[in-house]
Amino acid sequence: MDSGKTLCSLLKAIQFQECAVFCALPEGLKLTVDEGKCVQASAYIPSDNFTEYHVRDDVDVIFKISIAVLSECLNIFGSAEESSLKMYYRNEGSPLLLVLQPQSVHNVMTDCEISTQTADSVLELRDEDAAEVAKLVLKAPAFLGLLADLERSCDIIEIHLSPEHPNVSIVTYGMQDRSCIDVPKSSDMVQSFSCEEPVTLKYQLHHIRLIMKALALSTKVVLRCSANGLLLLQLKLEKEDQRQMFSEFYIVPLLDD
Amino acid sequence: MKFRCVMIDAGPMREFSNIVATISKLSKECVLRVTAEQLYFIVCDENNGPTPPVLWCEIPQALFFSEYQMVGLDDEHKDIYLEVISVNLAKSLVTLKSAKSLKMKLTKKQCPCITLEIESPSATSQQMRHVTHDIPVIVIPRMRWSEFNEPKIPYPDISIELPPLKQLRTTIDRMRAMASEVVIRASAEGRLTLQIRTDMAKVSTRFKGLTVEAFGGPIEHSDSETETQINEDMSRICTCRVDAKKFSLFLSADQIAHNRTVCSVVHKKLVILCLQTQENVKIQCFISGIVY
Repeated sequence: MDSGKTLCSLLKAIQFQECAVFCALPEGLKLTVDEGKCVQASAYIPSDNFTEYHVRDDVDVIFKISIAVLSECLNIFGSAEESSLKMYYRNEGSPLLLVLQPQSVHNVMTDCEISTQTADSVLELRDEDAAEVAKLVLKAPAFLGLLADLERSCDIIEIHLSPEHPNVSIVTYGMQDRSCIDVPKSSDMVQSFSCEEPVTLKYQLHHIRLIMKALALSTKVVLRCSANGLLLLQLKLEKEDQRQMFSEFYIVPLLDD
Repeated sequence: MKFRCVMIDAGPMREFSNIVATISKLSKECVLRVTAEQLYFIVCDENNGPTPPVLWCEIPQALFFSEYQMVGLDDEHKDIYLEVISVNLAKSLVTLKSAKSLKMKLTKKQCPCITLEIESPSATSQQMRHVTHDIPVIVIPRMRWSEFNEPKIPYPDISIELPPLKQLRTTIDRMRAMASEVVIRASAEGRLTLQIRTDMAKVSTRFKGLTVEAFGGPIEHSDSETETQINEDMSRICTCRVDAKKFSLFLSADQIAHNRTVCSVVHKKLVILCLQTQENVKIQCFISGIVY
């Protein structure tokens, strides 16, 4: 890979837990982090981001790794420096090897051996049977601005989606106040909106806030709500070279008492 | 005892301010030694009482000051030793970067003070602004002078040119986030390796093609701690394990515009970083090795 910089910032965006499950698939790399079985975040790096990419297809390449150490290592020459990256992994129990070389200076290189652990099973939050009830495509910077405007002291965020006007309304409850933001589907930030019947979903605000770092990197975000309330956010990150990376967040809803 | 000096050139003033700022990051207190030829800043390890200094900085007065007068303690002891809180000095000298002149003198107010008179142009009018700082100092009595003697440096096993300090510091700072100690390995072939090792990871950054100034080898590696590397003649490699935080602090000297930096290693005992500037200021940092 010519530059580990985007990869590093993507990892930082999902770095709310110490360890991540690292999974190498023929179509690309996937790193997954989950918090208290309520939020699951993944970073996808499609294989076309790498100049060379080989994965053995007869075994599952999956292991657990410290995401903090991994992102420190990727950043070893500082964030201002573009450095090329090579990654190797032999087999279960062996460390992940990284070789980094900055592009501007030639007399230096870093190699890292990051120890790996056997991965626990990855929590499957998605329920195949639950139908999708709504899908929104939003511009990421605008959505980030909207989330940043929400009162920090609130615990709960309520999202109302309906085919009628206003199509999206976001309500937060604070100590003394209730605030509401309406986004009609004609708004500039909404690129597409589909919702058949009204739904109301409740989430912990701090779970939603976890996506903000990733939003800051992304250009587009797709929100999908399924019938069981599970919220899926898919974020697309476009790089200068037209290649894409993705991140994905599953957020479990709050249930009414 | 008398000490009075004036600085009017922009370059040396900026440098002086940077030097003091760097020292203030390293230590709360420092000793200013004034002699007829040079100014010295000396930093000793705070915790360990009278030990060899950790930083030794020499500033030749002739290149820095347009006027320089000093009279020592008496005819036999011609120096002045002052103890000063380095942060106070650094804060007062921040404005020096845009100043027109600096007068520095030793005064007797309620207590002995270094008085700094800084003259700087006003942003809004033609007039000059005068700012005076009085920084309390402790005059170090004659009997304690010997604590601040120039350190006797053991003959280094290797002296090697360092890569750009800023680059080195970014790397060390990343490593510091992962481990508290870093192993420095310098080879007579001009390679410098920084390595950390924790339960989680082993990271080594290698610089190559650096100029080796001196090599005193061969080095004896008696124990098995140093892992054998293929294709490398161990007798030409010198290692030292040091505290990563200290090392990174010393590298903050990259603010000072410098000509060259040399890293000398006494195998397993000591790392000396020596930085020389255009104005012939020499700053030496001593980081003692950690041995298990």
